Order: sequence, then C-alpha cells, then structure tokens
Amino acid sequence: MSERKKAEPMGRRDFFRKAGLGAGAAGAVAVALSKTPAKAAVAGGKAAGGKGYRETRHVKKYYELARF
Amino acid sequence: MTKSDPRGEVPEEDQLRAQCYWLLARLLACAPDRDFLDHIARLEGDETDLGRAIDALVAAARGAAPSALEEEYFNLFVGVGHGELVPYASYYLTGFLHEKPLANLRLDMSRLGISRAVGVVEPEDNIASLCEMMAGMIMGEFGEPVDLPVQRAFFDRHVGSWAPRFFEDLEAARNAAFYMPVGTIGRLFMAVESEAFKMAA
Repeated sequence: MSERKKAEPMGRRDFFRKAGLGAGAAGAVAVALSKTPAKAAVAGGKAAGGKGYRETRHVKKYYELARF
Repeated sequence: MTKSDPRGEVPEEDQLRAQCYWLLARLLACAPDRDFLDHIARLEGDETDLGRAIDALVAAARGAAPSALEEEYFNLFVGVGHGELVPYASYYLTGFLHEKPLANLRLDMSRLGISRAVGVVEPEDNIASLCEMMAGMIMGEFGEPVDLPVQRAFFDRHVGSWAPRFFEDLEAARNAAFYMPVGTIGRLFMAVESEAFKMAA
C-alpha cells in the first residue's frame, strides 16, 4: 500500500482506520472536544478576528520559571 | 467552499487525524479536569496498538483524581526550575529554548497566517501548541484547510523532527503515570502520521 505513488482517498482512509484512528474512539473524542473547547494551546479563533493561539497557565508558568 | 463551515469539506480520515492532535493538545496543555476525564473515560480503543494505548488512557482516566493529575503535570512539565521534561522543539533540537527552531517556526506560522493570540508571550514551539496548529491546519481553523504537502512540510520541520523523541521520553518518564499512555498514543500517532505523509507523496 505504501508503495503506491498516489494514495487514493479510500486507501488513506483505510490506512488511518487500520492504524486505530477508528470512529469508535474518535467519535467520542470529537464530542469531548466540541463540548470542552481547549483552554489550551492554539486557536485564537475567528471570533476575535484573529488567527492565533493561546497558552496555558502551566506552560506560561514554565516559561517564566525557565527564564530566570 | 463556505468559509464559515470548513469542517464539511474535510475528509473523514483527516478529521480523525485532527481529533487525535486535539486530544494530545488538550492533554498536554494542562492537566485534565473532571469533565475532560469523564469524556476520556468514554473513549474506546480497538485491537491496534494505538487502540490499546487509548484503552490504557481510559483506564488511567477512570481512576484519576484531578488534583493528582495537576501534580503529575507539574512534575513532568513545569517543575521547580524545570520539569522532568522540557516539551519545546527548540530545546529538543538544540538543547536551549528560543533557538533557531523557534525562529523557523515563527516564519512558517506567518506564512500560514497563524499567530499568537494577543497578550501571549510564551514560545510557540511547545508540543501542545504544535499539535493544535496541526489540527487547525487540517480543519481549516486558520482559513482554508491546508493542503497535505504543506502540512507535511510543517510536520517534518516542526513536529516530526523531535516530537517522536519527546513522546518516547514521556512514556518512560519517572513521573508519568496517567501520562504514560499519553506518551504511547503520541509516539504511535507520530509514526502513523509519518507513514501517511509518505503514502500521500
């Protein structure tokens, strides 16, 4: 399969499914992610009119500590 | 090609990839709270290695107390001085923060129309942000969904070059209990991504 020059859409899809990114797990993740938006790293978001991302308190703290 | 709903156009397999990146981003940006643990507990892996790692995460989430996870997260990634691990591309690639890998990342981010949110001063090359950038590129969060070759170039340069080592380190970290399967999931997913990019080339 990996020998193919150009993977067809189904080939790619099958590859990811066989790798374990199946709908069972991913579907639940999708629900989790949509219900609890990332407090986390990225996605400044379109609402703010910007593209960008945010960091977490922990990452920020780490950075502050690392500096001094 | 509606800009307001880019999700509808993204192929299913790419949505799965984005979800995996989001999961990792969420887990690595801060310790999960009770709500997120409850969501994790409802995941179900399959018979693949990645599926089994997800099941291990589910098992860990079921027995986890948020306060203990805060402590584990602190010991792993924050620490006094620094944590057991330093999850930044620049650190992994050069041994120091704020080195050329970060400068290169910023250049590529600006080309892709990605920037830090106003008021943020932390370096962008931490693992959680990079996972979120990958997910955002796939799903079109920064405009239109980004083509695979561009995703691949970004991945090779900023993620694949060090994140597999980081996830291996996380898997083996002294302080990792809940985060051990997170390391496994990340390591396996990085391998899947590398292989898939080669397939598509």
